[in-house]
Amino acid sequence: MRTRPRLYVSYSSEMALLPTWTQKISALIFFALLVVIPFGVIPGFGFLADNDWMKILSRVAIFAIGALGLHILSGLAGQVSLGHAFFVGIGAYTAAILGGEVGKGTWGLGLPIWIWLPAAAIVAAAIGAVIAPVAVRVRGIYLAIVTLGLVFIGEWMFRSLPFITGGSQAGRKFPGLEFRLWQEEVPLIDFTSDGSWFGVEMTSEAKTYLLLLVFVIIGVVIAKNIQRTRIGRAFMSIRDRDIAAEVMGVADTKHKVMAFALSSALAGVTGALMGAFVGRLIPEGFSLFLSIQFVAALLIGGIGTVSGTLLGATFVIVLPRLVQDFTGLLASTAESGTGVLAAIAAFFVSTAENDPGIVSTLPGTSPGLNIAQFNLLLYGLLLIGFLIFEPLGLYGIWIRIRNYWKSWPFTY
Amino acid sequence: MTMTRERVGEADLSDAYRTVSLMVRDRSHSTPDAVAMRDKDFGIWQERTWSELWDEIVLVAHGLLALGMQRGDVISIHSEDRPEWVIVDLAAVAIRAMSTGLYPTNPMAEVVYLVNDSAAKVHLAEDQEQVDKVIEAGPDAFPNIETIIYLEPRGLRSYDDDRLMFWEEFMELGRAHRAEHPGRVAATMAEARVDDIVTLVYTSGTTGPPKGAMLTNENATFAIENIILAKDRTADGKMPGPHDMVLTYLPLGHVAERIMSTWTMCSSGVILNFAESIETVQVNLQEIQPTLFFAVPRIWEKIHATILIKLTDATFVKRLINGFGYKLAAYIGRSRVKNDGNYTVGARLAYWVGNPLMFRALKERVGLRRCRWAGTSAAPIAPEVIEFFMGFGVPMVELYGMTENAAVATLNFHGRNKVGTVGEPYPGIGLRLDETTGEIQTKHPGNFLGYWNKPEATADTFTDDGWLMTGDVGVWVDGTHLKIIDRIKHIIITSGGKNISPSEIENSLKTSPFIKEAMVIGDGRKFLTALIAIEYDVVGNWALSKRIPYTTYRDLSEKPEVIELVQGIVSETNEKFARVEQLKKFRMIPKELDHEDGELTATQKIKRKTMEDMFSDLIAEMYGS
Repeated sequence: MRTRPRLYVSYSSEMALLPTWTQKISALIFFALLVVIPFGVIPGFGFLADNDWMKILSRVAIFAIGALGLHILSGLAGQVSLGHAFFVGIGAYTAAILGGEVGKGTWGLGLPIWIWLPAAAIVAAAIGAVIAPVAVRVRGIYLAIVTLGLVFIGEWMFRSLPFITGGSQAGRKFPGLEFRLWQEEVPLIDFTSDGSWFGVEMTSEAKTYLLLLVFVIIGVVIAKNIQRTRIGRAFMSIRDRDIAAEVMGVADTKHKVMAFALSSALAGVTGALMGAFVGRLIPEGFSLFLSIQFVAALLIGGIGTVSGTLLGATFVIVLPRLVQDFTGLLASTAESGTGVLAAIAAFFVSTAENDPGIVSTLPGTSPGLNIAQFNLLLYGLLLIGFLIFEPLGLYGIWIRIRNYWKSWPFTY
Repeated sequence: MTMTRERVGEADLSDAYRTVSLMVRDRSHSTPDAVAMRDKDFGIWQERTWSELWDEIVLVAHGLLALGMQRGDVISIHSEDRPEWVIVDLAAVAIRAMSTGLYPTNPMAEVVYLVNDSAAKVHLAEDQEQVDKVIEAGPDAFPNIETIIYLEPRGLRSYDDDRLMFWEEFMELGRAHRAEHPGRVAATMAEARVDDIVTLVYTSGTTGPPKGAMLTNENATFAIENIILAKDRTADGKMPGPHDMVLTYLPLGHVAERIMSTWTMCSSGVILNFAESIETVQVNLQEIQPTLFFAVPRIWEKIHATILIKLTDATFVKRLINGFGYKLAAYIGRSRVKNDGNYTVGARLAYWVGNPLMFRALKERVGLRRCRWAGTSAAPIAPEVIEFFMGFGVPMVELYGMTENAAVATLNFHGRNKVGTVGEPYPGIGLRLDETTGEIQTKHPGNFLGYWNKPEATADTFTDDGWLMTGDVGVWVDGTHLKIIDRIKHIIITSGGKNISPSEIENSLKTSPFIKEAMVIGDGRKFLTALIAIEYDVVGNWALSKRIPYTTYRDLSEKPEVIELVQGIVSETNEKFARVEQLKKFRMIPKELDHEDGELTATQKIKRKTMEDMFSDLIAEMYGS
């Protein structure tokens, strides 16, 4: 009901993704903003159209798809998993075999994207479904340990199969982001070179970004829709109390396996896209750190919600860049002048061999952590901080702000 | 689905008396697919269109015919508000029978009395709880009842009583009867007459056993024309129509909810939304945001208390803004009360500031945002409460009427709203004040036919020249508006010979969110005293915030801190009244008043006589014998 947002006359209206007009319109505006980012027309955010920021946003998009996968497994079905990186790897190498060219000592079939991308999802899902029955026999921390083992097994396997992965520290080439009908010379649509689309001149980065945006939106719709189906409700009931769910007739193992499979499928897509986007990956890339990044995205963003997952994914990917920019700023402040600000900045950064500080701008020569190490430290601190102070994550902060206005002029 | 009109035949009812049922049939022809009702089921407001509604009414009517109901027979309905209530009610009218409504809280003894007094042939019981009240009374307790229809089968499968019949079975009976006698219902409707009784409404019976007031087609038509279709009733001047939303939650057997829900739906096509229960009214109000809202003072007091508490419980910044908004509202309220409910320029400006700031959001939270008419009646209300709601822009008015005159007496018309009065008599009706007693008397086509099977009681209600004696004492204000002093029998004459209206003092006490009930005593005594009942959850919260531990209602009532709190409210109230009207002492009522324990009537009015007997020790203590 348009003028009575809380009056639901059918289940479909109650379960609608965007139940009110306000939500429909704001979602549309948000979507439109995302689409026009590459054209640099948003006042104050024009810098996002720069190539390096376009690349960061593309990585956010790729990462978000995998995070949505983990959201289904951990956020909805409540199964803690540290093995997400393994499934990302499976997807990546499936894509590499099917879509990549034959290289020095590596296999490759050179098939088009419409085969290797779905195949990455299917193979990852299948392996997920095979492993899941074993994994879901344990719960909580034990499940975390089992999935942790998966990452190490995976990393070792990837290193030991050079004809697929290119071998340790060497890596291999991945298929490009091009759309071919079959193996023709000139791709039908090419996302990796500059050119004009519908008369608009666009860089390859902008094209890639728009393509990935489409994938993210598909992922969001899938994740959102799963949440409001019978399966999604089964997941959530298992999350809240698996024994109670089983007593109520929810098949426990079946749904846990489904959650694993769905989650792995999205992880596989992320892997495939990651490979295609970066071009070359080494087996060590699919390590525990990648898994932790996914968990961090969920916990920082807000576990159990799609919006929180997206927020978290953005945060985790953008943070290193912000740290880098900020360190640069501190370094120049420390060098340029005197005064309180410069002193504080000098305390944080170390710019020379004998200059103590927390972050070093000359890794190797000056003391302190390098940017990557500092990022790791930050993730850890943020994870602890959010778990203790804001268990609902960034999304929880938003919820509190929203409720403040929603209950106006009362408090409850 | 075949259309209803094909089945009942295009019977020409243009010459028939326009009963409330015929009005529904007409709507099912003119707007068959428009929504007529909503009923919340499993969290969703399930809709019924006019054609579906009429279809069900016809089926039920056939079912009643199949059960042998004829003109003048009675069906008693013992259920919470739900679509079936209205459907059975209108089906009874369609076959020229009549319904009578029982309150869900009626205990067994009252059910026995009411059903037997009305000589109902068919009894509709909602669920196991209500069926038990019939079965447990014994097999011979109800000589007239032939069939008991029940709506909720839960818990009733093991019952074997030949009179029991499940609703679906009953509808099946109706279907069979319709197949056999198509057009029977339409034929009966064509015979409807102006003096057919449509319903028996039992008076609440604050003194003596309840009496069934007979309301006829003529009474219903008169009530519709005068109250529902009154000119200048709503804030925007428009008549009620299909775009209006009504929340149905007061007992449908009561004349007020009949008029405000059932008959308003029939005559104007408003959408009825059935609240889940009386406990969920505040939530349902938020969902429905009714445009026409009628409530008894108890409900208004409750909303008033909720708003006050939530405003003060808000966080710091909100409390600052609320404090400012509340001042604006108080100013607007005062100004509107002075100007017959109209806005002065200043009040309008204040409203423009306050509305976006907080009024609009506040009204949305309590469900009154889209209200274009808000009424209060059925019991006296403190003017402060009306002023409070007017301040926030709720078009609230008080009206007056009683079962015996089909509730047609006075209304505060929009723009001529004098707070503290019950308004002006409807144009053209007979309404006078008795010269000696000041009693309000009415004479118009809304006056009831009489009490069911009680000719003496009926005769006692009318004057020799045929005016209905309401039993209320009133005075004229400015020569146009009527102000009610009190029920004649409630007026207190102190031993000093002063006439005092207790309800004015009681209502003033009840404007405090902490006080739920108050009963002023003092007839034939030297001074006034009061028995006071606290609002359990509000005072409970207050005690919690003051860190006063308590266990039960009684324990809480008797805490010295609570008594001190009430003393403060009593002293504040005393300042508003003359010396003789001031309360010298009060005592806390040690239990929550309840219908089943006999302290309240089904409509939650205090039974003074019972109260005086029950708490005679407290009263004696106050007068220190």
